[in-house]
Amino acid sequence: MGGAISAPTIMALMEGCTPKSAAATPFKLTADYQKLVAEIAEIIIPATDTPGAKAAGVGPFIELMLKDCYSDAQGAHFIKGLDSVEEKAKATGGNFLSLSIDQQTTVLKEMESAGKAENEEVAKAKDVDAETGKVKDDGSAAEKVTPFFNIMKELTLFGYFTSEIGATQALDFVSIPGKYEGCIDLKEGQKAYALG
Amino acid sequence: MNIQGKAKEQNTFDAIVVGSGISGGWAAKELTEKGLKVLMLERGRDVVHVSGYEDAMKESWDFPHRGRVDKKSAEEYWAVKRTGYAANEGSRGLFEKDSEHPYKEKRRFDWIRGYHTGGRSLMWGRQSYRWNERDFSANLEDGHGTDWPIRYSDLAPWYDYVEKFAGISGQKENWDVLPDGQFQKPMELNCVEQHLRESIESKFEGRHLTVGRVAHLTEPTAEQTALGRGSCQFRNKCIRGCPYGAYFSTQAATLPAAKKTENLTMINDKIVYEVIYDDELGKATGVKAIDQNTKEEVEYYAKIIFLNASAINSAWIMMQSKSKRHPNGLGNLSGQLGKNIMDHHLSSGAGGVIDGWEDKYYYGNRPNGVYIPRFTNWGNDKRDFVRGFGYQGRASRNQGIPSDLSFGAEFKESLSIPGQWSMNIGGFGETLPDENNLMTLTSDKDQWGLPVIEFDAWWGENEQKMRLAMRDEAVAMLEASGFKEVNGYKDEEKSPGIGIHEMGTARMGTEEKNSVLNKNNQVWGSENVFVTDGAAMTSSSCVNPSLTYMALTARAAEFAVNELKKMNL
Repeated sequence: MGGAISAPTIMALMEGCTPKSAAATPFKLTADYQKLVAEIAEIIIPATDTPGAKAAGVGPFIELMLKDCYSDAQGAHFIKGLDSVEEKAKATGGNFLSLSIDQQTTVLKEMESAGKAENEEVAKAKDVDAETGKVKDDGSAAEKVTPFFNIMKELTLFGYFTSEIGATQALDFVSIPGKYEGCIDLKEGQKAYALG
Repeated sequence: MNIQGKAKEQNTFDAIVVGSGISGGWAAKELTEKGLKVLMLERGRDVVHVSGYEDAMKESWDFPHRGRVDKKSAEEYWAVKRTGYAANEGSRGLFEKDSEHPYKEKRRFDWIRGYHTGGRSLMWGRQSYRWNERDFSANLEDGHGTDWPIRYSDLAPWYDYVEKFAGISGQKENWDVLPDGQFQKPMELNCVEQHLRESIESKFEGRHLTVGRVAHLTEPTAEQTALGRGSCQFRNKCIRGCPYGAYFSTQAATLPAAKKTENLTMINDKIVYEVIYDDELGKATGVKAIDQNTKEEVEYYAKIIFLNASAINSAWIMMQSKSKRHPNGLGNLSGQLGKNIMDHHLSSGAGGVIDGWEDKYYYGNRPNGVYIPRFTNWGNDKRDFVRGFGYQGRASRNQGIPSDLSFGAEFKESLSIPGQWSMNIGGFGETLPDENNLMTLTSDKDQWGLPVIEFDAWWGENEQKMRLAMRDEAVAMLEASGFKEVNGYKDEEKSPGIGIHEMGTARMGTEEKNSVLNKNNQVWGSENVFVTDGAAMTSSSCVNPSLTYMALTARAAEFAVNELKKMNL
């Protein structure tokens, strides 16, 4: 999800997923991976003049969401992604948390490209019926999973901007507007509204 | 069950209202205000106004999953989840767990329920439009279904009446396709919506756009204030219940009005499953109910009965009410009971983005959008389908502007800036009455030993053709108005029930042989029983139905009381 988050996309995120089976063992991150996820989230949404993802509790939120809202397959794919992050980090010079911010950024950019490539592979593999233009679904396809970086970023943005810190500090949060004005001038420094 | 003497007396009232939802609340209000001692039976738990709205004042961070649906809830709310919003954390509290209220579907049917005081009047969309004249003559005109036994002129004074009490915000426009009502101040359109309104007006002959007409108070009347209601605060958290009583619900409006009369007895947790019909007396004498918690069976008695259990459940009750006079269910000589299920089909429309208005914004979370009334098969417009559809939608500014970076400090800053304007309009399509769209009672039993319903219904050819137009016309209007990246969509998965406007199962008609109810909403052959919820609907129009249910109820209540006074019932 590059660039702007549209209101429709935020609403789509609110709709939830359709898991196919209950978890055999619930999704859980090791202590090391919890630190890793929190760090990656902080790189995506760092502290600036407003607090970043760590302060907003995004790391634990991501773990909770993967446990409660996503399929086992997605959870496993996410952990494979973390494994891949650490592999690339070691190839650079050490575990991810020990790298410089520039090195970390490089690793994440590689994960981002890997995510794009993964999506392109999936799109190519879809067998499309020539007559109807519809994707043939023979039911044998493995459960759809989102690439690591895509879901990492999606959940970071979602978790941050719905957190109290994100909604009230990084955005314009108005709990009880009391009125609706339809067409007003955009004020200097006006931030985007936080959605309920 | 046979109770005598004092117990029977305690369970005897002038009138029984089954269901406390949007139409039941009205029946209770009208009948109590006219001096009747009324028993309102609600199958679900009580939800007290304000204190019962547990999620109403919460913010996104108060929910562990920030509003998203977790896997366990997705299974419990398997039908509710199909709406795409109602199973969300914070919203689902007032919807029923489908796992606790099973039903069967030959073809997918989304039966979305709210069993508690107020029913779905706590979670409804509040869009409130009058039917037009042609809506009432539609069946006669094109031959689908059976003719309505009433016309717009019969209902017009009742629309006036219910609008004034309920409080409808809207803009008078003087369009025959969408008759004006008794309105409070309209909500504002934002800049891009105003642009689309002007563009449609100038580029598409006969087409219009207005602000949604919505059951929210923008100028509370003295009567509304006296009931404890306040102005809309533009939080747009309506689905959780309104602590200000600003939108119309049983709790905010009709229940306090009924309570003021001191003629109302309200009992929760009683699932009415049968109307007691006395073949010798030739009328109904009461209802049978089962307590949802204790499973105890109980009977209540009254001179008149209003069934407002919602379209499916009112029919379900009548289908279980058999007697010599009504061997196939109450009022079912025609065989039409449980048939002709209609809903509005949705999720066909378009969205796009538009440049400009970078220096403009809005303030407040408006719980309403735009409305584009029906233009197909209206005036000179002729299509390869009959009837029509309206659009609902809105424009807003995206959160964030495009950035070359995809993460980091600058990226974060870019997300805090109001971005490009985008707009979406989605159609609400009329569904033709078809007696092949129906519900039946299976031999399966629910936890109370009552029959489980099976649905067998789908969209017909007319609906499918209409959906193409819903998408293509939305694309055309947006593109002609300068929107870019316009994406037309037509969701094939959406099933009957998705509009949560299910209706038609005990339709009104001109004769006992073609309908279940007469022109006064009386059950044929059991004239002291009235049905004024969605079950009564003979056709569906394309506009949201609840305002029409309110008007039908108030009209029928006056008729019922007059008949009682004349000793006709």
